[in-house]
Amino acid sequence: MSDRVAELELHAARARRNVVRMIETGHSGHLGGAMSAIDLITALYFDIMNVDPARPDWPERDRFLLSAGHKAMGQYGVLAERGYFDPALLQTYGAMMTALGGHPDMHKLPGVEGNTGALGHGLSISVGAALGLRLAGTTARVFTVMGDGELPEGSNWEAAAAAAHHKVDNLIAIVDNNGLQISGPVAQVMNMAPIAGKFEAFGWAAREINGNDMTEILAALDTAPFTPGKPSVIVAHTTKAKGISFAEDTLAYHYWKPAEGELEQAITELDAKIAECEQKVTR
Amino acid sequence: MSQLTDPRKEFGRAVTAIAADNDRIVVLSADSGKSSGFGDFAKAYPERYFEFGIMEQGVTGIASGLATTGLIPVFAAIAPFVTSRSYEMVRNDLGYMGQNAKIVGRNGGFTYADLGATHHSLEDYAIMRMIPGLVVFAPSDPGEIRSCVAAMLDHVGPTYMRIGAQGLPDLFPEEPVEIGKGRHLRDGSDVTIITTGYESVQTVAAVEQLAAADISVDLIGMPTPSHLDAELICASAARTGAVVTVEEHYETGGLAGAVAELLCREQPTRLLPIGVPHAYQPAGPYDGLLANAGIDAESIFRRVSAF
Repeated sequence: MSDRVAELELHAARARRNVVRMIETGHSGHLGGAMSAIDLITALYFDIMNVDPARPDWPERDRFLLSAGHKAMGQYGVLAERGYFDPALLQTYGAMMTALGGHPDMHKLPGVEGNTGALGHGLSISVGAALGLRLAGTTARVFTVMGDGELPEGSNWEAAAAAAHHKVDNLIAIVDNNGLQISGPVAQVMNMAPIAGKFEAFGWAAREINGNDMTEILAALDTAPFTPGKPSVIVAHTTKAKGISFAEDTLAYHYWKPAEGELEQAITELDAKIAECEQKVTR
Repeated sequence: MSQLTDPRKEFGRAVTAIAADNDRIVVLSADSGKSSGFGDFAKAYPERYFEFGIMEQGVTGIASGLATTGLIPVFAAIAPFVTSRSYEMVRNDLGYMGQNAKIVGRNGGFTYADLGATHHSLEDYAIMRMIPGLVVFAPSDPGEIRSCVAAMLDHVGPTYMRIGAQGLPDLFPEEPVEIGKGRHLRDGSDVTIITTGYESVQTVAAVEQLAAADISVDLIGMPTPSHLDAELICASAARTGAVVTVEEHYETGGLAGAVAELLCREQPTRLLPIGVPHAYQPAGPYDGLLANAGIDAESIFRRVSAF
């Protein structure tokens, strides 16, 4: 394993611990999607994106939009780890007037670029941001993480058509394809397969990867845009609630209100993972 | 009556003129730009003119994204399609995100008369003024279109402007529009009439008839129905003791609703809301629809006389 991958895995492990830290304080939250997407979000903020936590409004920064806004704890966990805000703020999750709402608010937290939460909005906003950055003559890119469960929203496909038509190749969408949504398996609720094929039919360049494997994540993101002149999509096959053994790939943990003993077990597992990752980094 | 001006062309000219000195202004089209008066803009500034085809929800979100980079997007299309169809995008992506983007509904109200209720927009003032921080502009005549465009582009934040399609006469002397400021257009003592948007054409004609019948009208123009001039309206209401609102909009929720909320709170006064009955309206010629809804000049004269 490369140093680069080992370091990112350590950051991702700490970000996952941050998610559970928020649930300790807030007593519940959208666990499943936060944990499935966290490896992707970690790679973006720590390696791929041209950002500076000390200058979150720097005009030429790359942008990250969390289209599936309910995965907000995943983004918060990474932002805290990356230094966008004091990790002590995580202890306000669920509190009155918190800056860490159940969905992200750009006016309250540095590093948040859009007020998502209603599904099917993030891709359109991202297309606009990418067009604006291109018009400004910058090389900045826009990354957006979508959920597989939000793909039936028609507005996504309006944005998909617009991005391809206008050749917005500074836009990279990542579908967190964890396969579960609140009513059941995505394939049973509304089967949008083949996801990559649909985007390709709209004029995008697509890749499919294991979205919880840092090596595969970097291999894909390092080569985006996959085709000059086309927007890129990464269909990232992930495991819902990745990192907490009893919750993984289990529908009940889409939104987690910990039962007795569950928090302690989750913390034990995540702390062990952090220790394991630290050893790999220092080795 | 003066020469009639196409409000869409006047709107497009006004934006294009300001855009000559402000390269942050970009125009978005959902197969709607050239019919919204942006033909010249598209020719003069092709790099700032974006065509997306018919996708109003997507374009509203794209406008938000463009605005996050410091641009000032102007998106004009048929009024119901940029208000009720894309409402959540306006609410969240522009309103909640506080983006400096300008939505413009053309062919508003009844002006797509013969195309029927799918193409009428009689609830747009109401739903748009419910978005916190969003300013609604409703210009009355060509001069007010120019002044509202200037105020809209000068204001930093989300806005909605409704323009019509029928030719408009010059009604009032041209002066700058200020958000939340009404225009005291005529002194009177018997009744206050508050008018907004191009329905003012009917209102002004009715006021002339009322004057001839010795009914003295205190006339207020309110080009921002979301942001009322409380001082002007309450002072007038206190003098006349009777207020009438006139709008090409459902008689609830729009200007009438806003004025009722204000008067109940600040200056309880009896109120006659002249607007369109709250039902889907038929297709037909524009003048016929105004008369059928009871908002043409003759109906306004009759209803105010009986108030």
